[in-house]
Amino acid sequence: MRSSRVWLVIAALVGATLLALAQQAPSPEEEVARQKKLILEQSGILPGELYAAQGEDLFKKKRGPNNVSLEGCDFGLGAGKTEGAYAELPRYFADTNRVEDLDTRIVTCMVSLQGFKAADIKRSDVVAIAAYVASKSNGRPVKVRLDDVKEVAVYAMGKQLWYTRAGAQDFSCAVCHETNGGKRIRLQRLALVQADKVASHWPAYRFSNDQLWTMEDRIRGCYKQTRVTEPNYYSDAIIALSLYMSVAANGADVDAPGFVR
Amino acid sequence: MRKITLFLLLLGLALAASPMQDRLEQTIKSGGEKFAKDLLTRDEGQAICSQYRDKLPAVQVQGFLDKQRALIKYPADNKLIGDWKEGEKIFTAAARGNCYACHTADPKEAAAGNVGPSLTGYGARGNSDPIVKYTYEKIYNAWAYSPCSTMYRAGVHGILKPEEVANVVAFLIDPASPVNKK
Repeated sequence: MRSSRVWLVIAALVGATLLALAQQAPSPEEEVARQKKLILEQSGILPGELYAAQGEDLFKKKRGPNNVSLEGCDFGLGAGKTEGAYAELPRYFADTNRVEDLDTRIVTCMVSLQGFKAADIKRSDVVAIAAYVASKSNGRPVKVRLDDVKEVAVYAMGKQLWYTRAGAQDFSCAVCHETNGGKRIRLQRLALVQADKVASHWPAYRFSNDQLWTMEDRIRGCYKQTRVTEPNYYSDAIIALSLYMSVAANGADVDAPGFVR
Repeated sequence: MRKITLFLLLLGLALAASPMQDRLEQTIKSGGEKFAKDLLTRDEGQAICSQYRDKLPAVQVQGFLDKQRALIKYPADNKLIGDWKEGEKIFTAAARGNCYACHTADPKEAAAGNVGPSLTGYGARGNSDPIVKYTYEKIYNAWAYSPCSTMYRAGVHGILKPEEVANVVAFLIDPASPVNKK
């Protein structure tokens, strides 16, 4: 009798502690801010900036069979002009007759300027260079236009893909990131891709897996989580979705590389 | 005259729709063979939901529900309430039901999502035949009740066999299940 009363008290105490812990648990946004502060305190620099610095090296170094740097690459504002270029990507490029996103444009220049074979290009190099080029648009508003007919067409494809329900879990991009955006999967908040204008802070460093991801990686990650095979890098499918999300981010200031969970 | 106008209008729509579909198919194929296979082998329900962006026109709802209902299979012994302990394993495992991603159930599970409604205390609805049948069918094919809703069709896609769906039903309804423990 007596021992059962003791157990009751213990159970009540444990319960109260758990409840207090649950109430103290930080919101996902607080957790991101806390992690960011922690890393800044420990190392004085954010990992995303390290990637961008590495990307700057790769960008300026003479590389590839042609032994030239990427400084002559045209990201849409003219050869060699990187300031503000990312804020207007993806866009149509006449030289390839194709709408290209940042990742794809980097690959285009590594092939056409530096003479790399597309198959030999390391994904990690593209990611680092993307972090650098994107950072050159920081503080500028996203301004992705649909001026060319090809841009209009690719945007329409992106929008269709956004709403395409597929795979064994019947997901579409919209199910998580529009219809249920702001709610939580387990404890992770689902981004409202359009309303939160998330494309403005990609590429981003993800502290949950300690990697820098571009929007292409993020799109592939989404498909993988929904048990659908990821689309190829630099494919029209992935560029179309990227264009669709970038237009939704118009007006938001670029903050890249971002810092996300 | 009106009929001809209507005919031309419909013809125009049909012609306009098909290049769009062709272009979408080409775009999808650019993503690689496996990606294309996953996206282009959508079933009829997925195709309709994609087309209408999950908001079916009212006139289509009944037909959609009927077709989804026809996809539901039942356990051989027709027992719709199985073993709640087995159901709990399925409900919890990320590679099986992964239900906690969206629903609260056992109140002790703190890391439950909130995309779907809370299922804690679900057993309070009782275990009458209509409740049990609804619960089974909803888990097997959520679209038989709510067209194009978020919840995936665990039975239709073969992620859960009929007997496994019955086990999850038990986890929700059995008074001994932690879902229903105060």
